[in-house]
Amino acid sequence: MTGNGTITAGLRDPALSDQERESQLAAALARCAAGDRAALQVIYNSEAPRMIGVARRILFRQDLAEEAVHDAFIRIWRGAAGFDAHRGSARGWLYAVVRNRALSIHRNEHRYDSSSEGAEDLDCEVTLSRLPETSALRRCLEQIDRPRRDVVVLAYVHGMSHGELAGRLRVPLGTVKSWVRRSLFALQECMG
Amino acid sequence: MNQPDTDADDVMAADFVMGLLDDAEHAAAERRIETDGGFARAVSAWRERLADLDSTAEETAPSPALWQRIADATKIAPIDALPSARAALRGATIWDDIKFWRFAGIGGALAALLFATIMVGALTTSRHLRNDLIALAQSKPVYVAVLVNDTTREAGAIVNAFANGRVELVPLRPIEVPPGRTLQVWTLWDRAVGPKSIGLTGQSRTLQLNLESLPETVQNQLFEITLEPEGGSPIGRPTGPILFKGNAARTL
Repeated sequence: MTGNGTITAGLRDPALSDQERESQLAAALARCAAGDRAALQVIYNSEAPRMIGVARRILFRQDLAEEAVHDAFIRIWRGAAGFDAHRGSARGWLYAVVRNRALSIHRNEHRYDSSSEGAEDLDCEVTLSRLPETSALRRCLEQIDRPRRDVVVLAYVHGMSHGELAGRLRVPLGTVKSWVRRSLFALQECMG
Repeated sequence: MNQPDTDADDVMAADFVMGLLDDAEHAAAERRIETDGGFARAVSAWRERLADLDSTAEETAPSPALWQRIADATKIAPIDALPSARAALRGATIWDDIKFWRFAGIGGALAALLFATIMVGALTTSRHLRNDLIALAQSKPVYVAVLVNDTTREAGAIVNAFANGRVELVPLRPIEVPPGRTLQVWTLWDRAVGPKSIGLTGQSRTLQLNLESLPETVQNQLFEITLEPEGGSPIGRPTGPILFKGNAARTL
């Protein structure tokens, strides 16, 4: 596909700052809400590879990740009018839709299957190291001691429930819940 | 102003964004975002705080067929440029102003009456003027159905059918659509055939209806809006409650 070349080029374009990308996405969402189908493809071309990556960290399987992104784009198309630029970023809104779909598939799949393939190799420190040096989230997460900060990464990035966290970290459910609570409170205090 | 009403709300907003709520709590939180501005702000704040984690995901190329599947699936709702979104693009709000549209509606009715009066006169005036008036008539609906709720007797939407076959649904009030549900528009042209789905939308907004496979709209043709599972009724017939319904009447 000739299209793939331009997609990659667009993503890697260093001239496209986060701010430019954000305004592009916000404009594309407004056009989606006005019924412009080309705008949906603009979002797809720019974000789909990253979205698949986000869904894969929760679902571990490429086919399920694509299913989540497929469902997410249908919701993005139908729900674009619900995006309010005064309330938050287009990026935050779009990725929330993707994570919601992936989490929903994850919960349904694991209702019948308690073993999470691939979950054993997860390394929260690698994820942390991929955050930009300038990221306030990185600075604030680093101030929380392990394994308390791991629960934030494992839940947000890999879609683990309280029960899954307790199983993986081998601590009681109540302890996990209190770690989540205290870590999120610390993040809020640190980031404002 | 950015502070939510209570700490409990903020905890719930954080858990919602983290994905730690169970299905029922998650659905309740999604509904609350629609109605509770403070809660919606708390959710947005948590999304922004954690959003950098999304950018740490490795990019993975989707299979080439994925876009085509999305493109096919998003064709289901024949959505024309919807007025409220056009307004959002322009920053204007007249499209959202129900009072304006009520007056416009009354104005339209008066114009139709005036037009009818002129039309009668026009029959005896020059052929030239008559052609002008016919051209004007093309832009006016031939049939109008006012869709009303059976219990509350409130009018919820209007269906306009034009001479060129175009049919549109114009909502008169916001209709609350729970998560996972959708509004489906139906028409009953022939009782023997049963109701036909002519449009699907996640929210109350102006919708171009798809009657291409049906004969021309007729007097007393029934239109109705029902609440259905997302993606539309699975059996091709209304399964959910009828929100609004009404019969087409010929305009003057």
